[in-house]
Amino acid sequence: MPKTPILRPEDTIHSPSRRAALRTLGAGGAAAATLPLWARYAGAQSAAPIRLGFEMHATGIGAAYGRWYERTSIAAVKAINAAGGINGREVVMVTEDDGTDPKRAAEVVEKFATQHKVDLAFGTLFSNVVMAAAPRAGELKMPYFVVSEGHHVASGKLNRWTVQPGITDVKSQVLAMAPFVAGNLGKKVTMIYPDYAFGYDHRDNFPPAMKAHGGEVIAQIAIPPTETSFTKYFAKIPRETEVIYHVLVGPAVLTFVKEMGEFFGPSRPEIFGFIDSIEAVDLNSPGLEFLEGTYFWEGNPRYAQKDQTAFDKAYRKAVGVDDNGASVADPKDVSTYAHMFGCWETLYIIKQGMEAAGYKDAGDRQKLIEAVEEIGKIPASDQHPQGDKVFNGKTHQVFGHQYVSKVAKGRLDVVHTSTIEDGMYPDEVDYTTQSF
Amino acid sequence: MPRVLCLLLPLIALPGRAAAHASEQAVVLLLPTGFYVAGGVASVVLTVLLVSVLPDRWALSLFRPLALGRSGGRGGAGPLWTSAAVFLALGLLCVIGEIGPETPVRNPLPQAVWTVFWVAIVLWQGIVGDIWRWVNPWSGPYALVRRLGARPLLRYPRWLGHWPGLASFLAFAAVLLAHPAPADPDQLAPMVAIYWAVHFAGMVVFGPKWRRRAEGLTVLMTNYARLAAVSKARGRWRLGLPGWRYLRFAPPPVALAVTMLVALAVGSFDGLNETFLWLGWIGQNPLEFGGRSAVVAQNLWGLVGACAALTAVFAATVWLGAQLAGAPGTFATSFRRLAPAILPIALGYHFAHYMPSFLVDIQYTIRTASDPLGLGWNLFGTAGLYVTTGFFNTVDTVRVIFLAEAGAVVIGHVVAIAMSHALAVGLHRSHRKAAISQIPLATFMVAYTLFGLWLLASPRGA
Repeated sequence: MPKTPILRPEDTIHSPSRRAALRTLGAGGAAAATLPLWARYAGAQSAAPIRLGFEMHATGIGAAYGRWYERTSIAAVKAINAAGGINGREVVMVTEDDGTDPKRAAEVVEKFATQHKVDLAFGTLFSNVVMAAAPRAGELKMPYFVVSEGHHVASGKLNRWTVQPGITDVKSQVLAMAPFVAGNLGKKVTMIYPDYAFGYDHRDNFPPAMKAHGGEVIAQIAIPPTETSFTKYFAKIPRETEVIYHVLVGPAVLTFVKEMGEFFGPSRPEIFGFIDSIEAVDLNSPGLEFLEGTYFWEGNPRYAQKDQTAFDKAYRKAVGVDDNGASVADPKDVSTYAHMFGCWETLYIIKQGMEAAGYKDAGDRQKLIEAVEEIGKIPASDQHPQGDKVFNGKTHQVFGHQYVSKVAKGRLDVVHTSTIEDGMYPDEVDYTTQSF
Repeated sequence: MPRVLCLLLPLIALPGRAAAHASEQAVVLLLPTGFYVAGGVASVVLTVLLVSVLPDRWALSLFRPLALGRSGGRGGAGPLWTSAAVFLALGLLCVIGEIGPETPVRNPLPQAVWTVFWVAIVLWQGIVGDIWRWVNPWSGPYALVRRLGARPLLRYPRWLGHWPGLASFLAFAAVLLAHPAPADPDQLAPMVAIYWAVHFAGMVVFGPKWRRRAEGLTVLMTNYARLAAVSKARGRWRLGLPGWRYLRFAPPPVALAVTMLVALAVGSFDGLNETFLWLGWIGQNPLEFGGRSAVVAQNLWGLVGACAALTAVFAATVWLGAQLAGAPGTFATSFRRLAPAILPIALGYHFAHYMPSFLVDIQYTIRTASDPLGLGWNLFGTAGLYVTTGFFNTVDTVRVIFLAEAGAVVIGHVVAIAMSHALAVGLHRSHRKAAISQIPLATFMVAYTLFGLWLLASPRGA
């Protein structure tokens, strides 16, 4: 596939790590060395860049997400620097690959703190990776901004140093869907989910929420993670089912959808799913024709909508995503649009927190966390293109709008936007009472 | 063909594993892979039947090369100069590995090792011809040391044979398969430097024979070079069916024969260890894979097991073949003589297994070439190259990739069967005996085709 090189945000932002060492190799060395000593150090305290450690799933099973999380983060850093940086200082990103590997993630966090001397770390997605690395960040007293949508932060399992201010958690997403499902699709729901932690967040949180809205989950079908053939499970769906709620992930999802279509034929119940199943998958992939007329939760609408905000428009342009949620460089390369905005928004929260805290160096890390805990309301803006939000300082978790889209003519059209309150639930932890 | 399908169905229906998001594998699962697999296996079965019934001279003539133009000498000092340049580049890459960009997608060292060398150069070596002579990082520096007057301190012990080469290749394979972060530039740089230094020291002490017998990658590359279609012989370039040169060589010594089998075992296990099936066996949830650090021991044992199992099964089929042919005394010779026939299969696997990741990683490599130090350079105008994986998203492109992989596996087996039959004819001097002796090995190769194609079609999670 010959491709014309296209100028991307990557062109202008480069990992600055070990740049000092490299300058002796590169052309910059000569210039730096010719400066008088006083000039090299004058103002270093205020002019030194802010160093943000980006923990990237560059290899391993999270690499597809990692690519887009990196593109989004690079674009955000570029935009922040173009607008004067943070507290007037340049922001540089130090990227390390964690291999989507929990053990390596803890090592990366340590490397960030001890070797790269970053101010904080951010960007981790996979829940099992976050769970392994966050305790190390806590021990090192390093702010750890995760972008994982896991409920692990708000559940109280982590620590004062770990926050999730850029993306809502799965519990909130699930709760916010119940009013729409019960009010528009049907009262009797059968859930189909993968039989491990990711699926359990749905299994445990959706039934009580449905009940609260006059609906009922009449069957729960857990699919073993290694399953690749589904027809036998469809036979277990009760006849009176009005809505199927599905949230499968992995390479078998297209097969799942295809077999579901074959099983039901034209007379199917309403179908509601989570976009996680087909994140980064072309909606026009084979087997997905059956999705026409079904509904999806989206964290951020993949297709530009008729009432697209100026914020979304600017954000797409900055990241290099077209109106179909695919790369402007290759329309077949579909982005992880429902999740990656979390990196963009997290970086702006970091900026806001650092500026509120008057952040100077690692000695102010505690002040940064305290400032972020105080953020509260977050209006929709170029900095927060997914929509307005509320950050709960006690649970370290942000809450926001969720979108329901209907598949129509091979694209996703938003038919419902939840309120922020739809996704709220009682606090399960108060991190502010914990010591640093 | 229906019978083959019946055999296949239970395999295709085996529980699979899943990656974090659906892409190429998801589309592959929708392709009619059952038919592709059946077609591939049928082609191999047909090859077995053909070489069994057709006159031997036909099989032998397949391996008689066509003479092309006159070949020059051995390239004079050219390969030494290029080798020296590669050595310098490798040294620089190791430095960049240590102090350059931290991620494998932006650092040129892992890209040079795992994409350029391990995929592109290895395939070139086996398909086109001996490029390793030009790009290995030892022969140039060693020539310089000789030039400076150094002479081997010791004679390479004859009894060691190629066994150190086998051990050295297994060490490389252990890093490839079981190291938690083989692409992490920080960790790869010292491994590359140590591997180079150990073998260079071996050459200084024992002379160039060390490299040919004890350096695992050169042993592998020499094996593959002899497989290549184009080669020099008696003053001319000659083009033949891959493997034609092996019909002219004396059988390899046992250790060298085992390295040929190990090449296939390593390639096969590198596919198997990603499947849902394997992950299920070792208790890993493929949708929430615990990462390479969680499976170091399993991959090491798997590697050892795969090498042992493949060697044992190969030996058993050769032994049984010798018994059936009524020539039990030929077992030892047959084992050595027939082992090179495994190489085309190993090469086919190599192509099939690495092709998808190569298509992505080579883009990173091209991008990094413009800015190898991560300083914002744009040396070749490719620093802004957009690395796409869009071709994993459409049926047409995924089908092409899948069929190319499956084709490589099938062609590898077809060549292997023709080659082993021709080698057996040389051993037994009788068509009937040769054909009978091949029944167990050919059956094994048919089964291995099925296994290889199943690997390609089954879901992967690690």
